[in-house]
Amino acid sequence: MDFIPGGELSRRIRAGDISAESELIRQFEPGLRVLLRRRTGGDVGLLQDLVQETLLVVIQRLRGEGIDDPGKIAAFAAQTARNLAIASLRKAERQRTDVDSEATERNADPSRGVATLAEDLEAALAVRALLRELPQTRDRLMLKRFYLDDHDKEIICRDMQLSEAAFNQALSRARRRFRQILEERGFTRRDLLSSGL
Amino acid sequence: MNQHMIEQYVAGRMSEADAAAFEDYCVENPEFARQVELEQRLRAGLAQVARGSTAEFVRTEARWKVALAAGVLLFICAGAFLWQRSAAVHPNILAAVALDTSRDIPSMRLALVRGAGNTPELPRGLVRVEIVGLFDEGYEYSVVLDRQSNTRTETVATLYGQQPSSSVTLEVLLDGDELRPGSYAFHVLKTNSREEPLDLAFVKP
Repeated sequence: MDFIPGGELSRRIRAGDISAESELIRQFEPGLRVLLRRRTGGDVGLLQDLVQETLLVVIQRLRGEGIDDPGKIAAFAAQTARNLAIASLRKAERQRTDVDSEATERNADPSRGVATLAEDLEAALAVRALLRELPQTRDRLMLKRFYLDDHDKEIICRDMQLSEAAFNQALSRARRRFRQILEERGFTRRDLLSSGL
Repeated sequence: MNQHMIEQYVAGRMSEADAAAFEDYCVENPEFARQVELEQRLRAGLAQVARGSTAEFVRTEARWKVALAAGVLLFICAGAFLWQRSAAVHPNILAAVALDTSRDIPSMRLALVRGAGNTPELPRGLVRVEIVGLFDEGYEYSVVLDRQSNTRTETVATLYGQQPSSSVTLEVLLDGDELRPGSYAFHVLKTNSREEPLDLAFVKP
């Protein structure tokens, strides 16, 4: 997808161009997911909510008063996401100490739990498939040490008597296969925003 | 931005300022963001699998060990079997007939005779065995001597690379004293050929 400059998007959205809003969503949504995934601790339901909320705030702002530097919409969207994540965290903290009706209702929402569970399951299933396919135990242990034990590449390479090039190659192969598995199973398509805005 | 930075970000090893700049870049570059998200999901998936058990990471190694153990066991069994067989095979029972082999030693003629009721008996001592059949001169044959009982057949001796002395005779030397009493059979097979072997029985009294 070609990058559309923020100034151009901003102008079109302000002019009421709905397609420009869709373009903004397509362009910003992956990055916002990255940013918010890091801040939602694996709660994918919350992640989806915050992505939608962020995009809504950004679009409403652009429809209305706009932003000072239209070329910095991405930075504005990222900062909005961070602020919303912080606010959500504070709200969750409050809910832990105050049992109110909203919190009870939220905890009782079954769809939220299912969404979270489904996301975890997708990644876990793909990883299991990947582990089954990796022919060498060395490659699997390498993944474990790198991603789970957070060992440095240098240490892993030394212990496993691997060159860094061989290590990177094996890692790259694993990533590529992981992506393929997700794609084959339809786990990468996310149209979560189509009905939300 | 490169893969190293993705790894640093996903592992939480970036400073807040660097992480913020990285995130701004992600929001502006959806393709790059997808790469980062893949890394996040791979890490999350691995963590979830590992929460159950880390056996998945060494699963095949265990299989490999089982396979190795089975292989070792098979090797030991095969070795024991071959040792047992080789112990039963006496290398001096059968020998090729040389040009200077004496004609004075006893002989036994083995041939397929239609309607023959009696099985030939092996004389004592060294015996010149004349196997009668149709042979291709210039070709090599293997001569296998089996001992037969009601329950099993065991190979007692084998002689490779024998050439027939004529188109109807192949001769070998057999030391009858080395054989236990019982029923025996010669199987004569043409080397590198699918022809049916020639089977001829005799008895050691």
